[in-house]
Amino acid sequence: MTGAEPATGTSAETRRARRGTTRDVDSYGDWLRGRTDEELAALVRARPELITPVPADLGALAARAATPPAVSRALDGLDRAALAVLESVIVLPSPTITALKKALGPRVAESVDNLLALGLVWPGTRRSYQVAPGIRAALREPAGLGPPARDAFAVLPLDRLVVLAEDLGLSTAFANASGLAEAVAARLADPADLVADAGPEARTALERLAWGPPSGRIENARRPVTLATAASPIDRLLARGLLVATDDRTVTLPREVGLYLRGGVLFRENVLTEPSAAGPERPQGLTDQIASGQVFTALRLMEELLEGWGLEPPSVLRSGGLAVRDLRAAAARLDVAEQDVALLAEVAYAAGLLARDVGWTPTRSYDLWLLRGAAERWADLANAWLDTDRVPGLAGGKDDRDKTINALADESVRAHAPRVRREVLEALPDEVAASEESLMERLTWRRPRRTGGLYSRMASWTLREAAFLGLTGFGAKASYTGPFLRGEDVTGGLGALLPAPVDHVLLQADLTAVAPGPLVPELARELALAADVESTGGATVYRFTPASVRRAMDAGRTISELLDLLTRHSATPVPQPLAYLVEDVGRKHGRLRVGTALSYVRCDDPAVLDEILADRRASALRLYRLAPTVLASRLSRQDLLESLRSVGFSPVPESAEGGLVVTRTDAHRAETPARPPIDHEQVVDADIAAAAVRALRAGEEAAAVGAPDGDPPRTPSMATIERLRSAIGSRVWIGYLDQQGQATSRIVEPVRVDGGYLTAYDRTKASVQRFTLHRITGVRDV
Amino acid sequence: MNDGPLIVQSDKTLLLEVEHERAADCRRAIAPFAELERAPEHVHTYRVTPLALWNARAAGHDAEQVVDALIQFSRYPVPHALLVDVADTMGRYGRLRLEKHPSYGLVMVSVDRAVLEEVLRSRKIKPMLGDRVAEDTVVVHPSERGSLKQALLKIGWPAEDLAGYVDGEAHTIDLAEDGWSLRPYQKDAAEAFWQGGSGVVVLPCGAGKTTVGAAAMAHARATTLILVTNTVSVHQWKQELLKRTSLTEDEIGEYSGSRKEIRPVTIATYQIMTSRRKGVYGHLELFDARDWGLVIYDEVHLLPAPIFRMTADLQARRRLGLTATLVREDGREGDVFSLIGPKRYDAPWKEMENQGWIAPADCVEVRVTLTDSERLAYATSEPEERYRFCATTDTKTRVVERLVETHRDEQILVIGQYIDQLDELGERLDAPVIKGETKIKERERLFQLFRTGEISCLVVSKVANFSIDLPEASVAIQVSGSFGSRQEEAQRLGRVLRPKASGKTARFYSVVARDTLDQDFAAHRQRFLAEQGYAYRITDADDL
Repeated sequence: MTGAEPATGTSAETRRARRGTTRDVDSYGDWLRGRTDEELAALVRARPELITPVPADLGALAARAATPPAVSRALDGLDRAALAVLESVIVLPSPTITALKKALGPRVAESVDNLLALGLVWPGTRRSYQVAPGIRAALREPAGLGPPARDAFAVLPLDRLVVLAEDLGLSTAFANASGLAEAVAARLADPADLVADAGPEARTALERLAWGPPSGRIENARRPVTLATAASPIDRLLARGLLVATDDRTVTLPREVGLYLRGGVLFRENVLTEPSAAGPERPQGLTDQIASGQVFTALRLMEELLEGWGLEPPSVLRSGGLAVRDLRAAAARLDVAEQDVALLAEVAYAAGLLARDVGWTPTRSYDLWLLRGAAERWADLANAWLDTDRVPGLAGGKDDRDKTINALADESVRAHAPRVRREVLEALPDEVAASEESLMERLTWRRPRRTGGLYSRMASWTLREAAFLGLTGFGAKASYTGPFLRGEDVTGGLGALLPAPVDHVLLQADLTAVAPGPLVPELARELALAADVESTGGATVYRFTPASVRRAMDAGRTISELLDLLTRHSATPVPQPLAYLVEDVGRKHGRLRVGTALSYVRCDDPAVLDEILADRRASALRLYRLAPTVLASRLSRQDLLESLRSVGFSPVPESAEGGLVVTRTDAHRAETPARPPIDHEQVVDADIAAAAVRALRAGEEAAAVGAPDGDPPRTPSMATIERLRSAIGSRVWIGYLDQQGQATSRIVEPVRVDGGYLTAYDRTKASVQRFTLHRITGVRDV
Repeated sequence: MNDGPLIVQSDKTLLLEVEHERAADCRRAIAPFAELERAPEHVHTYRVTPLALWNARAAGHDAEQVVDALIQFSRYPVPHALLVDVADTMGRYGRLRLEKHPSYGLVMVSVDRAVLEEVLRSRKIKPMLGDRVAEDTVVVHPSERGSLKQALLKIGWPAEDLAGYVDGEAHTIDLAEDGWSLRPYQKDAAEAFWQGGSGVVVLPCGAGKTTVGAAAMAHARATTLILVTNTVSVHQWKQELLKRTSLTEDEIGEYSGSRKEIRPVTIATYQIMTSRRKGVYGHLELFDARDWGLVIYDEVHLLPAPIFRMTADLQARRRLGLTATLVREDGREGDVFSLIGPKRYDAPWKEMENQGWIAPADCVEVRVTLTDSERLAYATSEPEERYRFCATTDTKTRVVERLVETHRDEQILVIGQYIDQLDELGERLDAPVIKGETKIKERERLFQLFRTGEISCLVVSKVANFSIDLPEASVAIQVSGSFGSRQEEAQRLGRVLRPKASGKTARFYSVVARDTLDQDFAAHRQRFLAEQGYAYRITDADDL
């Protein structure tokens, strides 16, 4: 594992850590062995990467825990308090619980327990704690402090050290580097007089580095300086060892000097207390109103989006996404921002309501989804959103190669997206509309090593998306959001907040109908056919126009059916202008009939045909009279229909049998695919953790019995079978060629031998396994 | 869920169920920030526009009140996005303020540096501004006060104008309330205007807008310039002012084509103000002829574009706009807001009718079936002649004759668009015709005869659309109009809405040829009134 150390690590501390690693890991492993099974299970649950795959024994586990990736993951999961404790353990000379309390405050115990459970600190000698192997290398500047003076100076050239020691008035009699560095470090333990001597300008320069980062950039950092020749403040500091050059362009503040400047304090602010996410208070009732209103809106928008795409599916880009043009068109159609359309599309895709087909097309599941109650529909969407590893917020932004990321494209997959969403939503306080800054502060405290960059942007998107989907209202958490995050069924609670379907409309003389709530599906369908939707929201406003009524008649409705529908579903009588409109359109509708064969115009009223023939604009239609009530044309039926309509008549297409041809556009549907797979971050449940611990303990045992001396056992095969049979119920050591032909050895407890197989309990795998008899190379008792 | 009367739509319209017991409270709560768009019988539609929200801010309401009102009265949960949008929009008003600076004069002050930077970067706005005298203060050229406000509104940062008004030349004007008194809503309207400084008062035809103007003048007690649509209206304003105020003949000047008097109160027509000689507006100096303390714009929905430009220079004077409908067919409502001022008062027509301030009206659309030969002729006519043809058919004329016969004992106005048709009707009905070429004197004589009842039927062209005060007219018959104009229909109905001495219901007939363009235009024309709750009855001419 030393090979994975950063190549730039030249400080003595790193080298020491590297040297000590093997020893550290061994004693750390011993400590691990002393943990109870429950403690180990908790450890591997919290750090699943340690058992992927399950290592052979606890020694191997300890070694894996010290690898940089494992350390880094563990540190990423720590909150500010735990991280501060960890840093204090590194910095404090003797980090006992008392010392930690003194340095940080009385509430460190909780964090210490947490760190113990995670195996990041462990009790060393004399009740002081030490950090697990690998941590020191990962936290190079604990609490924003530089390296200890001894380590910082030990790497300087000997001649420079000698000059420094002489300038500090130290003996240079036994001039080896480590001895001199040791001496300089001892001198710097109380640097008050040196700092005062360097002058106020120099002190100002030091103060700037005091609270970290502890290094600064200057040109020619390794210049030769002596007390006598030092001119600038920086030179004066370098000459006194208050700063030390760590490379050609960097000077660093030694830890002792930093602590002196800080007055011995490790952290400026109280790092143990989580910042409260502050903001104006919001009564829960109000929040619920606003959030559930948004729920209703989001559902409606989803429906509108997919209905539109059902009729005209936008094309799938070669890269798999949705074209910006289509995104814009949808945004304009729904009157929402483009990022909201991206969110809706991603959620629909994640929920299996939208799929790649001829274009981006709603699936059959979408039709089923439509039939569900509003609260259930919302739960489907919200769950899909919470769990998807796609980040809708990335759409419209640029990727690494400065290419625009399209909505629904695969570039927006981020494995940690579901975790970030949960962390953000869980950080929301109750009944308070926390400001985004204060929430970010809280998140930064909870995960100091994760926040920043993409995390912050994702957090910000999460808040926006949660508001859009109705998980929050005016910045505060809805009452159903908490239970929803815990995986509880919230449809009951949410359903009570949403408007109930109504089965009547209010008809008005200005030719509008108002549905004062969501309509029952059957009525909604009929009205959508006979009237144009003018505004949507809590209610729907429909407007009847000649064109809309004609549309209903084209779809086969008659005057009396329409009036009957309106009368049945209206509390008040049908207003006269509306009845007139329906009758007027109905009267004209179908008065003209048009056929296909050679295309004709038929009308019971010869005067109408006179009128058409006399109309000069109709001359282009090349009409001629077949009979007093029939005209024919050489145009195609479609052209003729359109031309007549453009002239102001209202003909209908007619079939060969003389019936009306009913026209209605059908919407496209795609097959429901399996839901897009989500690459979840690994989760270890209690059973897996327990099994892993069992396996580790077994590995320990295997190692302890020390069987693998020499070659794996070899015995003649008949004897093998015999030995195995007699060993049922006891424990044996077998040699086994695995599927790759590798010779391995296992400690197993044979259960039975039959059909060419040995069935045995394999302690290292903690499971019952079958071994092919002919691959068993030998058996030996243990 | 509460059982409120209001439903909030995602397109920011508000639906108010009028039969609901809390409807009246709700109307009061939302009226400051939502424009009444339609008021048919069951559900009234209000629209929350940025203009309406800024109007509300200008009147001292804040976003919290708006959100409260929506949540309190809404039947269903209000979508979060809409509330956020409301708060955002209202937050934009007043980030920029126009103020008077003791040493720099007119300045624009910002409380939000970022907004100021954005505005300063705008190429349209930069030239109207002078030096930046402080971090947050920029000098404004006083002549650009109006254009600046207009431009700022366009980019969505409406300025709050706190620079105040010049008092103008003081002139004593009092209301002479002898034998009459201001109606409560007139008083409210005048006061709302005065508090706001400048703005528009919206009242139905016949509700006494002139009196509101007089009341505003009594508040200002300063020289006043009144701009009206035509000469007859000039005379009517004059008569009204003589009757309602302490002003005498000598104090009121008439500035029109025939007379050019400039007096403490001067009434001018839009026409004279916009007439040009060799490309130059010849009468612009009228605006500077006196130090006017108040400018009144009658029928502000008709304000011609050049007057807008002139008004941009009048921002230091108080301005009052009067109208029955803020609907402008040209969609320039935003200019009315930034140049005249926000809407200060309005009252729905039906409410005025319920209180008896305007006469109840019965609107009837009479459908006339054309004869076969007329239909044939209609089908063969040139496209540009088609409306004229179907609107002026002989069948219609006969129907009008029958209608006039039915209402023989009442005062009838027959209103139309086409002079030939009107002349023919005048002949057939044996009634005098008033049209564009009729001399002013003759017009006034005829109107006077009509008022006294000596003539019971008048045939008028569109010259009588506006501001003609004929209190006893109780029946109007419309035979043709300027295509689909909604405001014309409303204005014409307004001719018969003066409360009648007898308390009778007014009749408004619109005679329409079935299955022709006439019918399509009629449907469009009726929209405004239908939305104001005037439900048209449809009758077949044969059933009369």
